[in-house]
Amino acid sequence: MATQPALSIHGLTKAYGNVAALRGVDLEVGRGELFGFLGPNGAGKTTTIRCLLDLIRPDGGQARVLGLDPRADAVAVRARVGYLPGELSIEPNQTAERALRYFAQLRGGVEWAFVRELAGRLQLDLRAPIKNMSKGNKQKVGVVQALMARPELLLLDEPTSGLDPLMQQEVYRLLGEAQAGGATVFFSSHIISEVEAIAERVAIIRDGRIAETLDPHDLLRRSVRRVRVRLREPLPEGALVGVLNATDIQRDGANLLVQVEGEMDALIKALAAYPVIDLETERPTLEEVFLTHYVEN
Amino acid sequence: MLASYPPALMAFFGDVMTMNTPQGYFGVYYASYMPLIVGIFVCSAAAGLLAGDEERGTLDLALAHPVGRTALFWGRWLALMVATGLILLLAWLGWAVTLPFTDFDVSAVNLLLGYLPMWAMLGLFGALALLLSMVLPSARLAATTAGALLVGNWLLSGLAALNDNLQLALDLTPWALFQGGEAIVALAWGPLLALKGSAVALLALAWWLFLRRDIRVGGERSWSLRGLRRA
Repeated sequence: MATQPALSIHGLTKAYGNVAALRGVDLEVGRGELFGFLGPNGAGKTTTIRCLLDLIRPDGGQARVLGLDPRADAVAVRARVGYLPGELSIEPNQTAERALRYFAQLRGGVEWAFVRELAGRLQLDLRAPIKNMSKGNKQKVGVVQALMARPELLLLDEPTSGLDPLMQQEVYRLLGEAQAGGATVFFSSHIISEVEAIAERVAIIRDGRIAETLDPHDLLRRSVRRVRVRLREPLPEGALVGVLNATDIQRDGANLLVQVEGEMDALIKALAAYPVIDLETERPTLEEVFLTHYVEN
Repeated sequence: MLASYPPALMAFFGDVMTMNTPQGYFGVYYASYMPLIVGIFVCSAAAGLLAGDEERGTLDLALAHPVGRTALFWGRWLALMVATGLILLLAWLGWAVTLPFTDFDVSAVNLLLGYLPMWAMLGLFGALALLLSMVLPSARLAATTAGALLVGNWLLSGLAALNDNLQLALDLTPWALFQGGEAIVALAWGPLLALKGSAVALLALAWWLFLRRDIRVGGERSWSLRGLRRA
């Protein structure tokens, strides 16, 4: 039924021996959403996604994919889902075209013209043998196979891993187009800027639990960034006093290192009165966001 | 010349004194070691049918498409048995083509029936290798274990003719059900079906395990002996 959520997960638990990978994941993703699943390495992103496809069996809890039980209706679920694994492995002794034709046969109903279009947009040479491909090109094969059947739901585990920035942008566009075509996109990442760029909602998973579900722009607002400023001459004493959110100002001659929490507008306007040679912003890593927000809270 | 062979050597390779009969010749020169040679290939291929793909990480992506675990399991097993059958068929063809030029008083069809016990035996050890690949940490270890059991059983079948106690041990192994050269004269369906039935039982257990297990990726949840690890 189309009214049911694309993904519905309640109390999902999974342990590998003595190591608890999921400690009760609760998550709901609506139809047609472009949803980011953010977490550091080892947080449980891949385990969650693989449970949804019945590749691994949870120890407890419940999951529904497009209203179906992924274990009882595994084939029906997979027929409607496009999946890109985080650790992509494709038989190396074949060309990209042969690999994709094999996947197309497994799935059925794939338009080969669409496969060619996807390959063209990602600048993927279909005649190239897999064994001669770079990690990025193999990743393109994985992206094409996930998208080629125009599935209702895309489960993508770090889809831009290994791709150069231009190709990352193209993948973002493809995901946006899939969403515009009615698909739900659920992708994992450990890069905040990626999630911020395309996701409408984001769930943060940490130590096998969902820490929070939020608007991705809130992530940046609450995080601390470091801004390095090089001026033509040293800044007068007290020049940045009163600038909101600018803390921990360190001076080294004409160089400044400022920590900014939230929006940059106030700092930029304060600096506009002085001759700035260079300005560099360091975005926080996910681990830093966790440290500055979740650990403090 | 045969009479000059040491009795132990003659006993190891079967009833050498019957080599002037079709079934004796076929049994000594062919059916005694053919299951061993093809069996090594079958053990290796069966152990890697699913676990090999799993170790390479390709099973993850194959099972992400609308393919059930049951269909994948039995489809791949069927493919292996067809491949094994084709190898034996080619071997039979070699005999069948030359049959008119020999004094063998046996038809090509009867000769073909002589391959059925071999096929059943290979199926049994293949099923064992596949089952072991579901419980052991690697496809290579499963293939090695199944292959070692095959070689051990083959050696036992030769040595059992020299020692009554070993014969008792052999009777507890699959080789006791294996009909060698005699199958081209009078195929014994009972032992053949027993071999097939045993293979089906092992396969059913392997299938059951495959349905219930996690598909591994990148060495995740690899098998270990906990007691040894603690030590």
